[in-house]
Amino acid sequence: MILLTVRDLRYRLVRFVVVTLLGSVVFALLFVATGLVEQFNKEPYLAVDAIGGDFWVLREGVSGPFTAASTMPVTAGDAIVADAVAPVVSARSSLLPEDGGDDNEEIVIIGGEVPGLGLAEPSSGRGVEAPGEVVVDDTLDADVGDVVLIAGAPFTVVGTTTDTTILAGIPLVFVALEDAQDLVFRSREVVSGFLADGAVTASPDDTVVLSSDEVAADTLGPLDGAIASIDLVRVLLWVVAIIIIGAVVYLSALERQRDFAVLKAVGVSNRTLLGSLGLQAVLVALAAVALAAVIQLFLAPAFPLKVRMPASAFWQLPLFAVIMAILASLAGMRRVARSDPALAFSGAGG
Amino acid sequence: MAMLTVSDLVVEFVHDGYSVRPLDGMSFEGHEGELVVLLGPSGCGKTTLLSCLGGILTPTSGRIQVGDVEVTALPRSELEAYRRRTIGFVFQAFNLIPSLTARENIAMPMMLTGYSKRQAFDRADELLGVVGLTERAHHKPSKLSGGQQQRVAVARGLGHDPRLLLADEPTANLDHIQAEAVIRLLQELRSQGRLIVVSTHDARLVPIADRIVQMVPDAAHDDGQTRTATFAAGASIFEQGDASDVVYVIESGEIDIVRVLADGGEELLGRLGPGQYFGELGPLLGFRRSASARAATRVELTVMDPRVFRERILHRR
Repeated sequence: MILLTVRDLRYRLVRFVVVTLLGSVVFALLFVATGLVEQFNKEPYLAVDAIGGDFWVLREGVSGPFTAASTMPVTAGDAIVADAVAPVVSARSSLLPEDGGDDNEEIVIIGGEVPGLGLAEPSSGRGVEAPGEVVVDDTLDADVGDVVLIAGAPFTVVGTTTDTTILAGIPLVFVALEDAQDLVFRSREVVSGFLADGAVTASPDDTVVLSSDEVAADTLGPLDGAIASIDLVRVLLWVVAIIIIGAVVYLSALERQRDFAVLKAVGVSNRTLLGSLGLQAVLVALAAVALAAVIQLFLAPAFPLKVRMPASAFWQLPLFAVIMAILASLAGMRRVARSDPALAFSGAGG
Repeated sequence: MAMLTVSDLVVEFVHDGYSVRPLDGMSFEGHEGELVVLLGPSGCGKTTLLSCLGGILTPTSGRIQVGDVEVTALPRSELEAYRRRTIGFVFQAFNLIPSLTARENIAMPMMLTGYSKRQAFDRADELLGVVGLTERAHHKPSKLSGGQQQRVAVARGLGHDPRLLLADEPTANLDHIQAEAVIRLLQELRSQGRLIVVSTHDARLVPIADRIVQMVPDAAHDDGQTRTATFAAGASIFEQGDASDVVYVIESGEIDIVRVLADGGEELLGRLGPGQYFGELGPLLGFRRSASARAATRVELTVMDPRVFRERILHRR
């Protein structure tokens, strides 16, 4: 069966190469789409984890620190009981390199006490130690030592962090609490909320306590539509892949009707012939997936958003591709199963 | 005891709404070591008969016995195994798989029916030697002549050493040199104790046949004699599917030409009257009657041998 399948693949090599290439482009897009969805889903959890704290205490009625404006008096922190409590400021803002230019980057400022919760651990450089210093996400075009303008105020970059973006790629920047209060509220009496380590056993009446997972889930909310759209595109890509592979297998079944009729006439079982056709579809699909795994390495960096390829994609995609290939070849298999061995007696020589 | 016995075989199927009976009461026998030639023109049911012998087509009625196996009694599920064990096929159109070499074409059916790869290729090499194509073993069909392809097809049919080899028009697509090689090969295979059944309209095979089965029965010609016949209204003159032997000219009265439909009903094709003739195509072309003729009224007919009809009626026009 394998020999029959491989020989036929070689016999129709050009067609199968073209189909494999087409399929690999589709599968590469599927890889990238999978990586994008993975990034969207993981991004807020990683960012919230980097900020630190097990719970966020925010003003009642606020859905989350990154999806709604929250203001609280800094004194409200006195009524919160947990292992550790720290005020935090979070707000959308913009960043410009000191040398000007029009590349105004949208950012989210996170202000925290130095040292304390709210200031992420940098992956290079050092953490914020004094006002006027900033640690930025490494997706921003800023290196340690650069001076950047945040909402017009100059800050010196002292470190960079990794995986600290939210809302599909908006980078976080970390500054001292006072700087954040000055930039956002023009007041040292107000904060956005409080971060708490350990269980929060008491908090003011007009506050809400959210776990870090709830905050991350809330941050993901605005991206629901985008994720659903990408998922729909993924479904459509699977349909395209099924059509491509199904069409070529069906065409092969049509062209090989006489061959199958002859083999049936000499006593070869339907099961064996269907297996041969299915194997052909699976081999084409797996070749396309293997090629796609290479193509996506070149394709992913071209995307403006980070493509986070989950390791599971490298076994799930081939597995789904095999299932899809078998589904795609069903029409061709049906054709073969129904072909009449008497067909072997008809037709011109050659 | 005959190795092959065909008794009262009838195959009837529906085609374009009509009931067609390509085989109607076919009977013959074949013995080991014989070459049986099914002789007849295209469309006379030769391939239908081969399909029945090979267990590909189930006849409407009748019996086929191959050795101690009653093929017509085998359930569909066992026909595959019957073909695999007992029958070798050689097709008119060669039907080699274009992606495989000659050697692989012979080995592939064996591999797909349970032989190991080594067994299949060893047997393929042996058979390539038998058909004299060892040096062409690794050529694909497109690189082989028609005769070579047919010899490969014969070798493929012999893969599992079948007792009964069925060959459909094995010389139809070949020139006389290639045909001679295939005929010689069939003679050799027969001498090895196989029963070979060949369908053909190629007269070159007749001299080497041990048994000839005329698929279109010889008409009982009247040796140039004509006679008159009278039929009462409603009487049948001939029925659809009958052997064709004579032509009728209407002297008086009217007849209906009707065709039997698949649902058992009848379709009136036409009504003929004095001076008109009918039933001429069957005997002239060697076909069975394609419709029935019934007397619509009392009718008087002149019944002619087709040769007489050709001389007297057709040439006169």
